[in-house]
Amino acid sequence: MSVCRPVRCLFASAALPKPSAAPQRSFHASAPRAARRRRPHYPSIKAEDLKLLSQAAETQYPKYDTSETALLEKRYTPAQIAAIKAAETAIDNRDLLTQSSHRTDPWLLPYEDDLAEVDPVTDHAEKLDPSDIPGSHDLQDVNEEERDEAITFIANENLARMFPDGLPEGELSEDTQRQLQEAMGTAVTQALLDPRASFRVKNRHAAAALADPRHSIVMPDLPRIENRMVRQTRRLSSEEAEDPRQKRLLQYLNWDKQKLRSIKVKTLVVHGVTNQTRMGKIRSMYYLTIAGNQAGLLGVGEGKSVEPDEGRKQSVMAAIRNMRPIPRYENRTTFGDLECKVGATKVQLFSRPPGFGLRVQHLIFEIARAAGLQDLAARTPRSRNKMNVIKATWEALCNQKLPDEIARARGKKLVDVRKVYYGGSVH
Amino acid sequence: MSLVNLAHVCSHLQNASKARLGLTSIPVSKMHVNLMLGLQREGFISSVTLGGTTPPTPFLLQDQLDPEEHEDMAQKLAAEPWAAYPSPKWTGEHLLGGRQVSYNVKVPQNPARRRLWLGLKYWNNEPVLKTMKLISKPTRRIWLTSEDLGRITRTRESAYVKGLTHPGECMFLSTDRGILEARECVERKLGGQPLCRVY
Repeated sequence: MSVCRPVRCLFASAALPKPSAAPQRSFHASAPRAARRRRPHYPSIKAEDLKLLSQAAETQYPKYDTSETALLEKRYTPAQIAAIKAAETAIDNRDLLTQSSHRTDPWLLPYEDDLAEVDPVTDHAEKLDPSDIPGSHDLQDVNEEERDEAITFIANENLARMFPDGLPEGELSEDTQRQLQEAMGTAVTQALLDPRASFRVKNRHAAAALADPRHSIVMPDLPRIENRMVRQTRRLSSEEAEDPRQKRLLQYLNWDKQKLRSIKVKTLVVHGVTNQTRMGKIRSMYYLTIAGNQAGLLGVGEGKSVEPDEGRKQSVMAAIRNMRPIPRYENRTTFGDLECKVGATKVQLFSRPPGFGLRVQHLIFEIARAAGLQDLAARTPRSRNKMNVIKATWEALCNQKLPDEIARARGKKLVDVRKVYYGGSVH
Repeated sequence: MSLVNLAHVCSHLQNASKARLGLTSIPVSKMHVNLMLGLQREGFISSVTLGGTTPPTPFLLQDQLDPEEHEDMAQKLAAEPWAAYPSPKWTGEHLLGGRQVSYNVKVPQNPARRRLWLGLKYWNNEPVLKTMKLISKPTRRIWLTSEDLGRITRTRESAYVKGLTHPGECMFLSTDRGILEARECVERKLGGQPLCRVY
């Protein structure tokens, strides 16, 4: 480091002299061609239009005036008001005007909320700290008698909560009897786990905190939502029948159900087929399904049965069983261009640069998505029979020639220049 | 420079590798010899040998003894069993990487009876040379500049020639410095007539 240089910088005038535009010699007789006009990446918006937009946003979503804030202060705590204000400033009104839309689907959440109640689905449960308890926090272990007393008390409390209308009395049916027995068992178990059954506290506030669920580290149960959509889609564990075919598949793959659930399955071809026998025509349904884990595994399966549901299940199981690894370049595209011919169908797949997207026909799009390919172009120059297009695409993706294999086959050294250039930061 | 003959060679090599032949022959011309040496340099074929109408004896078999010499060998081995193992001196002579190995191949005096014998390569039950296509055709010859070649080797189309988009694809050109691979031409800033693409 030179010492002179910072000094020179200090004494130098604020604006450094710009190199004067040297008179450029023209080496050509004709006038230089102007550089190609660059198009901006985003449309330029005039300042006036922006002002109009701001005005519209202002009218549609006005700011709170003083009378409104006074009303808010009556209803909400200062913390809530601060949260409301932070939320208001975080979102630009213009964005709200241009981008926001109201959800209309059956699963929409009650976002337009007055924040008066804690919604157990959308909000975090309220929590309290030990610092919120005034007075001493000293705990003492209870003796046997105190413990029994506390358990009886808590169990009674729990039972009262379970039967708000009082315990059923008189002649009890067998069902009610069993229900009562179960409820009693539950109440006693809960009482055993309650901290009040094991500790005694002198401080009144601390004793109340032991019973308060807001102080518990155990998350409260999620509420049972009751609406039409939930009732229709709810499935109890007892209703879920064990599918013998699925069981066999899991054994074959040595997977668990969780892993099987992560497989994306889609039926792409459905049509009826008939078998002509001496008894007459026997109609059945044909299904072609693809399965993929969106990370380089892809399978195609066919199923056929008189029963539509049976045929679909067959095809799904076959697709999952047939899953084969698909080599992907940088986890996004194929290794070079591929071509495969099945019957009269020819499929050509072309690898493309990052961010290109899947510019392919619908069937190949579904396959590419299931396999986890993101940049691909394709052509089907000949027949476009759906079944054959799918099979040809699958074949082409499975039978890729990898650079390593080519290098070993030719006895040459091949290096992925992209990987070297970016220092291995591209996959 | 007959591109017709080259077209025949291209399809013959494709057919031969589809039939999983180990050795095949093509007519001899200066262009064919240079192109085949280029293919060998890129690792598509294992050997290039000038020979007659019958295939040259395989190199590994040429080192074998005649049947009458086998008797002597057997007696010698019975007396000195350690002679079965090659001595270091013996292996040194036959190291393929270290020294050029020349073999006895009978080449006919009559040039019309000469053939170029090529050893084909296979890997993982797949031919190494699967596709070989003519680019410049007898009916439409094409010449490429080094700029065109730069674009083509970067997988872009240029001068109506498709880019080298298949993995490990090679293109051979006839230039004024001989028959070269496309990437070599780009390195040396040479243009020329593209002959064929191979992958």
